[in-house]
Amino acid sequence: MSAFFGPLEADGRVPPRQQTRAAAFLISAHGALARQFALALPARFDAAWQAELNAQFYRESEIVSLLMRATAWVPDLALSHMTVSWEMAWLPAPVDGIADHPLAQAIQLSTLAHAVHAGIRPAALLPTEANASDPFVMALRRIEFESGRQLQAQILFLKGPDLLPFRDAVSAALERRHAEVRRLWRETLESIGIVSCE
Amino acid sequence: MPFLRHGSYRIRYELDGPADTPAYVLVNGLTQYSELWGSYRDALIARGFRVATFDLLGQGISDKPALFINQDDHVAVLHRLIGELGDGPIFLSGISFGGLIALRYAIEHGARLSGLVPMSCFAELSPQLLLIGNALRTGLILGGTGYLQDLLLPMNLSDQWLKPLLDNLDSVKRQGWLVNDVYALQNLMESFLDFTPLTPLLSAIATPTMILNGEFDFLTPRALHETLRVEIPNSALVIIPRAYHAFTLEKAALTADLLARFAEDVMAGRWQGNKQVLIAPEDAGGEFSPFPAGYDHLRAIPVQRTAT
Repeated sequence: MSAFFGPLEADGRVPPRQQTRAAAFLISAHGALARQFALALPARFDAAWQAELNAQFYRESEIVSLLMRATAWVPDLALSHMTVSWEMAWLPAPVDGIADHPLAQAIQLSTLAHAVHAGIRPAALLPTEANASDPFVMALRRIEFESGRQLQAQILFLKGPDLLPFRDAVSAALERRHAEVRRLWRETLESIGIVSCE
Repeated sequence: MPFLRHGSYRIRYELDGPADTPAYVLVNGLTQYSELWGSYRDALIARGFRVATFDLLGQGISDKPALFINQDDHVAVLHRLIGELGDGPIFLSGISFGGLIALRYAIEHGARLSGLVPMSCFAELSPQLLLIGNALRTGLILGGTGYLQDLLLPMNLSDQWLKPLLDNLDSVKRQGWLVNDVYALQNLMESFLDFTPLTPLLSAIATPTMILNGEFDFLTPRALHETLRVEIPNSALVIIPRAYHAFTLEKAALTADLLARFAEDVMAGRWQGNKQVLIAPEDAGGEFSPFPAGYDHLRAIPVQRTAT
C-alpha cells in the first residue's frame, strides 16, 4: 500500500487500472452533482445567485467530459457493484431540523457538493514522478484546482446569514456528508492499493 | 500516532523527551504542520526539555471541521494538551497564528505557565495586516494552497534562504500542500472574521514573556510586537537580526537556543523582562545586545527616540 498512485508505468503514467477506478468514482460523484444542479436550474433566472448554479452545472459537466476522454480505460468488473453503491450515496438525504423543503433541498445539494469539492483531492495522489504531460495527470490537477474554486459557492451559502439560525443542523449534515464521501473515496482507493493518510 | 479528543474531533499530537523534565509546547503557524518543529525537538530535548507539538484543528493530520473553526477551540485543545504534561514547569511558544493562540492561552490560563514566547505575533489586526490577510485569503480561494504558499514564501523568508532553493521550490512546498486542505485553511483564516483585539487583555499576562520579532518581518512588523512589549508587564522584546516572519524555519538553531536559554533563565530566577528591547545574537550561543540607548527601535533607520 502507498499513499500515492503507482507504481507508475515507465513513461510516468498512472496504471490504467488505477486510472479506471479513480475516474469512475469521480465521474459518478461529479456526474451526480451535474444532474442535481441541472434539476435545480430554473428555465429563467430571477436571482443573481442562480448564475452561479448555472456555472456549477457546466463545470461539473466539464469534469465528467474531461475524465471520459483523459482516462486510459480498461475493463473492470468490480465497477458494476461499486457504481451502484456510489450512486445510492449521492441521492438526496434529508437534513434534520429544517422544515422548509426547498431550503432543505438546497442545503443537501450544497453539503454534497462541499463534501466532494473539499474532501476529494485527486491531485494529491500523484507522486512527484508522475508525467505532467499525461492527460490523466493533467485532468486530476485541473479537477482539484477547479473543485477549490467551485467550493466557494458552497462555503458562501452554507456559512451565509440565511442559514445562521440553522448553523448546528447545517454543520451536522455537512459533517455527515463529508464522512460518507471520504469513506467511499477511501474504500475506492484502498481497492487499488492506495492507503489514505487520514 | 497519539490523538487527543476535542468533542467529536481528533487532534494529532506528539510528546518527546523525558516525562520528568520541564516541557516546551510549540504551536504551529497557519500553514504549518508539527513535523516542522523536528529540529526544535532534538535541540530542546538535548537541553533537558520535554517537547509537545500538535497539528491545530484544521491542520495536518488533525481533524478538519468542515465549516467553522472557532479560535476558542484551539485554546481548549491547547489546554487539554498541557493537561497531559503533568505538574512540572510549562513553557509555551507559538509562531504567528500559533503565537496568537499562545497569547490567548496565557490570558486565560496564565497561572499554568512558567514562561511564554510569542514569535512573529500580533494582538490586533492593524489595517495593513487586515488587508494583507484578506488578500492572502483571496489568493487561497482563487489559486489554491500552492498559490498561498507562493505568496508567503517570498514575504516570510530571506533571499539567502530562498536562493539555493529557487529551482526546487515545488519540493519545499509539497508537504505543506499535501497535508493542508483549501477549505480547512480558509476556515482557519475566517476565524478572524469576528476577531476581537487582545490588547486590552495583555496586561493580565503575569508570566515571564520573551517576544521574538524578525528584524525584517514584513507581515507582522515591529509595531505589532511593540503592543505586546508595552502591555505585558514581565516582557522583553528580542529582535532577531536579518530575520523575516518565518524565522523559526530559517534560523531554527538560533531560535531553539533562545527558547532554551529563556526557560533556563526563568527557572534559575535570572530572567528580568523589564520591558527591555534586546537584539539577539546572529548565531546560537552568542550574546544579546541591548538596543542602542536613545534610538527608536520602531524605526528602520537610526532615529533618536523623541522624549515623551
